[in-house]
Amino acid sequence: MSKEAQLSVAERDFILEALRQDVRLDGRKPDEYRPLDISFGEEYGHVNLQLGKTHVIVRISAEVTKPRDDRPFDGLFNINMELTNMGSPAWESGRSNDLEAAVTHTLDRVIRHSNALDTESLCILKGVSCWSIRADVHVLDYDGNLTDAACIATMAGLQHFRRPDAVVRNGQVIVYGVEQRVPVALNITHKPLSVTFHTYNDSKHIILDATLKEEQAAEGDLVIGINNAGDLCYVSKIQGAPVDAMAIVTKTSVAWEKVKTLNATMDKVLQADLAKRAKVGMADESRATNDREVQPE
Amino acid sequence: MVGPTASLSILQRADGSATYKCPATGYTILSAVNGPVELPGRRDALKPEDATVEVFVKPGTTTGGVGERAIETTLKSVLGDIVLGREKGFPRRGVVLTLNIVGGENVERGDSYLTLLPALLHAGLLAMISASIPLSMTLSAVLLGVTDSGEIVQNPSPAAAKSAVSLHVLAISSKDHLLLNQSRGRFDFDTWELIRARALSICQGAANDGDVAMGEGTNTASVNGFIRETAEDQIYSAYAHKLDSI
Repeated sequence: MSKEAQLSVAERDFILEALRQDVRLDGRKPDEYRPLDISFGEEYGHVNLQLGKTHVIVRISAEVTKPRDDRPFDGLFNINMELTNMGSPAWESGRSNDLEAAVTHTLDRVIRHSNALDTESLCILKGVSCWSIRADVHVLDYDGNLTDAACIATMAGLQHFRRPDAVVRNGQVIVYGVEQRVPVALNITHKPLSVTFHTYNDSKHIILDATLKEEQAAEGDLVIGINNAGDLCYVSKIQGAPVDAMAIVTKTSVAWEKVKTLNATMDKVLQADLAKRAKVGMADESRATNDREVQPE
Repeated sequence: MVGPTASLSILQRADGSATYKCPATGYTILSAVNGPVELPGRRDALKPEDATVEVFVKPGTTTGGVGERAIETTLKSVLGDIVLGREKGFPRRGVVLTLNIVGGENVERGDSYLTLLPALLHAGLLAMISASIPLSMTLSAVLLGVTDSGEIVQNPSPAAAKSAVSLHVLAISSKDHLLLNQSRGRFDFDTWELIRARALSICQGAANDGDVAMGEGTNTASVNGFIRETAEDQIYSAYAHKLDSI
């Protein structure tokens, strides 16, 4: 299938020369994210995230299944991402590409392998049944930095999601519907996020949250996964030009600051949404009046 | 009853896109069309004079399987037929449609996609309109369920669809052709005739006896009228700069 449109030589030179003068195409500072917009859908765990022009939707779902034989106490957690023709015309629906593999790997490492979601809390009955949590990342628009966008959306989704309550009675697993019992939040142990940097001009210039054009002009990338407490859970320097060791150290502290801000933003949106839901739920139950058309004037 | 809602051209990268929300069944579909695009040579061997329409259905919370592939074939044949694939610039090219189910309940694995079919068709058609793909006509589809008592229900909810004796999806073009007829369950010819008449009246907004007297008028109560209105709004906003100068 067709490739992403190549950057012209002039465009590349322009980006590089601008960076030499500490200017980015959209006027951002080197360590600045594009405007981030997080909103939630009607159902729990439905996150709509826009980072600049990059747009992703994450849906979290839960299902009761049998745990794996070698881990009878653990529930299952999977992150799925499939790039379709919707996100970019260069992607072929139903076929994986390098970007998909790279982003899925980073998400897996940062969120799943760092145990952000406590899988032991998903166990219902040892060796018999457990919850299987699934995160589906849908990419609607791709304009660079898919990793961070998907990572923020998935973490927001996990914190927003409520699974149905399940109890074991006389060896029988009973799953209560959302109407019968208040659904339960997932057990999040810590909140790691990935922060992606790109390097230019022999790694003299390192910028955060590159757009697609900036990504294409970059000579190398650096992904740092870190949580609020400053625990580093993932560092990747897979490809491209080498980066100075000191740069990695300084950028790690930048990443830490960014993760703190991002998590604060996420918390604010989450609290606002939950407060809204609580109000609607309570009001619906307690009121006895019928809907009335409010007459203007 | 609350009608469906749709908005066009909401995505940045895709050539055309649309969201379609059906409140009765609770599904939200996001669709994107890219076309005409280059396709690798292996695929256009069958009809070199025509465009190839590709459809990809992506479920919200599972990986695609047999059900998705089956519905893709249906969508491809219906939507592929109304695309004017011989227009300039289209032969040997592809029109790639991606339908993403972003809201609503999941279709159980192995269960049929019949309840989703009208929403998918509408979302796909609106995305094609948004991408300005040449079309010979538009279409409108409706899901009808027959209950135990023989009553015909329009757009039954997922629960009502499960308990229905038979389910029918009919797609009717803007020129009153029957483009698609898919049914599930037990029913007889008389019931189907009733279903067809009902579908025609819902889609085209004609009288119940199936006697169609649709002029160029825009009947907003019909599904076809809804598609028309959505397209109209899109054109209105796209040509706003011209309207101002008149």
